Amino acid sequence: MTPLPLTVALVGNPNAGKSTLFNALSGLRQHVGNYPGVTVELKKGLATIDGRAVEFIDLPGTYSLAARSPDEMVAVDLLLGRRPEEKRPDAILAIVDASNLERHLYLTTQLMELGVPVVLAVNMVDVAAKQGIGVDIEKLSQSTGLPVVAIQANAGIGLDKLKAAILAAAGTPPPSRPPLPEAIERETESLANELNGSVPTFLARRLLLDIGGYAESWLTTKHGPALAAKLEAARLRLIGSGHPIPAAEAKARYAWIRQVASVAVRKPSQRPVTRTDRLDKVLTHKVWGTLVFLAIMFVVFQAIFVFASIPMDAIKEGFKKIGDGIESVMTPGPLRALLVDGVVAGVGGVVVFLPQILFLFAFIAILEDCGYMARAAFLMDKIMSRCGLSGKSFIPLLSSVACAIPGVMATRVIENRRDRLATILVAPLMSCSARLPVYGLLIGAFLTKDRPFWLPGLALFGMYLIGFVVAPLVALLLKRTLLKGETPVFVMELPQYKRPAIRAIVRRMLEAGWAFLRRAGTLILASMILIWALLYFPNTDASGAKYDAKLAEIAEQAETAEDDAKESLEKQANELRGEWKRNSLLGQFGRSLEPVFRPLGWDWKIGVAALASFPAREVIVGTLGILYDQGDVDEEKEEQLQDEIKARWTEEPERGRYAVPTAFSVMVFFALCCQCVSTLAVIRRETKSWAWPAFTFAYMTALAYIAALVVFQVGRLLVDGGA
Amino acid sequence: MLLPLDMMRAGEHAEVAEVAGDPAWVGRLAELGLREGARLCVVQPGTPCLLQVANGRLCLRGSECSQILVRPLCGAE
Repeated sequence: MTPLPLTVALVGNPNAGKSTLFNALSGLRQHVGNYPGVTVELKKGLATIDGRAVEFIDLPGTYSLAARSPDEMVAVDLLLGRRPEEKRPDAILAIVDASNLERHLYLTTQLMELGVPVVLAVNMVDVAAKQGIGVDIEKLSQSTGLPVVAIQANAGIGLDKLKAAILAAAGTPPPSRPPLPEAIERETESLANELNGSVPTFLARRLLLDIGGYAESWLTTKHGPALAAKLEAARLRLIGSGHPIPAAEAKARYAWIRQVASVAVRKPSQRPVTRTDRLDKVLTHKVWGTLVFLAIMFVVFQAIFVFASIPMDAIKEGFKKIGDGIESVMTPGPLRALLVDGVVAGVGGVVVFLPQILFLFAFIAILEDCGYMARAAFLMDKIMSRCGLSGKSFIPLLSSVACAIPGVMATRVIENRRDRLATILVAPLMSCSARLPVYGLLIGAFLTKDRPFWLPGLALFGMYLIGFVVAPLVALLLKRTLLKGETPVFVMELPQYKRPAIRAIVRRMLEAGWAFLRRAGTLILASMILIWALLYFPNTDASGAKYDAKLAEIAEQAETAEDDAKESLEKQANELRGEWKRNSLLGQFGRSLEPVFRPLGWDWKIGVAALASFPAREVIVGTLGILYDQGDVDEEKEEQLQDEIKARWTEEPERGRYAVPTAFSVMVFFALCCQCVSTLAVIRRETKSWAWPAFTFAYMTALAYIAALVVFQVGRLLVDGGA
Repeated sequence: MLLPLDMMRAGEHAEVAEVAGDPAWVGRLAELGLREGARLCVVQPGTPCLLQVANGRLCLRGSECSQILVRPLCGAE
């Protein structure tokens, strides 16, 4: 029988290099664990060390084990073996930053109280050495009583030693913990007795020490006012004996740390000026820093648009070939139409935007990995505080630029509930990657050919700017009305700059791409087929004849016909197709709603596509593809949907004249609407209520409609004025 | 002489004498290394301000800095 794998939990401060170490240790064998009742997802990875299976669990980065929310409590419960779905870790791998060892050891002192062996990985020893900071590993091990290994996680240095230390540590007795004042130990013990040993001493200690913490709210709710009174009395006694909390805890822990560091850490008497200091002089500067930030954003978006077009063309070509292949081996009929026009064209129309998503995630991963993201939050805090949010909301909102789903999930770092809710509600306003297909399609169709080279980038930048401007305004409104309350305190760490790790970036890109494709493969495909069906059926004209049969007949005639006859047959076929779509189920519904769309400059096709994109915004592209018969006509097979739309709009008097205002009206609508079932589902999950997603959908749709209306009407006046 | 942190200027060093305010917030700052006796240097004053604490950088807002009393130190630490 093979023994159960050893379980090792990775714990460390944010920016200690924890994820890098986790990836280096567990390689590609990773999966994500979900926990019922909370929103935390933990990554797990399996490795084999000396023939022994070891499972690593990557806990979220944290500065301490003083849990303030159910989500933070998951890590503590897991470490204590109190989660039913995980066994208690056999060892804890604590990772600390050598260049800021004292601060990082604070968490380690708490980890040493858990009753589990702890292995200390001192990371970034090379960076520390450059700053003249030397860590004596042997002395550190002696003074802490822990096995200590020096590593450079990004370069993979020291990992073999670390693995050996982990194997050796598992199953050994837990370390002796750094002492706290006698008075605190006494009160902890009496509280633990009060709880009849129903919780570990560690939690009794957190109950005592964390004023307003999760342990307090949880246990006092569970055990009633008697416990609350006892807790209050204990804390008062601590003040009386000169150990007021929380200062007493910090004092005791840092006293122990100072003792340890004085033995093991060698530091220059004067802190040298580091690369981070020099870079921050510019990058956090109010004027230069802001300019650099805006320049970076502009470059990112222009690059996405220009470079991504190369692989996109290849993908388009590939899907066209697949569609042609199916068409050549199958007989005409509903099944072939479903496969070619519904499945292949639909999925192809979504997959084609994968390169842009990969590019965007690459940029976000680079900015985050090199430490710039926190500077952006710092620069943005002043603006964000004006709309009642903090710089912390900036990172979730900026992540929403890639996708609102991770963005909404990233709001977990915001401790204040109202701030968090406001951020969640406005996150879907940020221009996510699912809007890129819409922007890409329309900007490509109307603002690229025969226009200045900078116009597409500028237009795309403008579309993104809408989110950056409207989201804070809505947040301000929410904070002034629905989510009124006092401003919370704000503190944030700015990590040292470092060279981004290529492997980590590639991994982030692939994860994002895979997540997008999976959505494309399931939810989107399902809605594409539904939309195809709604547009295909009833498939009979007034006399009961089938449209596709009639079209096949015309095509047959055209093959043998003379050139001038061909032209009229072509026209006939086009008219027939238009009639077919108009009479389809969705066409009928869309046409009945046309008065609603007309003030936006939309015809029923755009309206139908917008309706059809309720499951996900990117669906509009595939739907427009079907509505505009992309690939149905031989001569136009090489042409793209863009040319098709442009051509069709030019034919119509209204949209021909006002093509650009109409394009912008559609883009602005999609910039502001919440046509994304997944986002709504995530909001429901994070807020644990259907009311918030319903509210989000309602307010965003109203906002989108009004904005699109204004854009089209103003645009129309401009066109008429300029003519 | 004690000063609220928001009255310090760029490049000035100080030792933290007292952190007042909501206990949860005081605890949080302590976890981040900003506690009684810690030395800091003001990198960028204003709101939010940028502080060098030990070998790390923190940013907080001016209104919160006024709750932190510091003892200015002459020259470098």
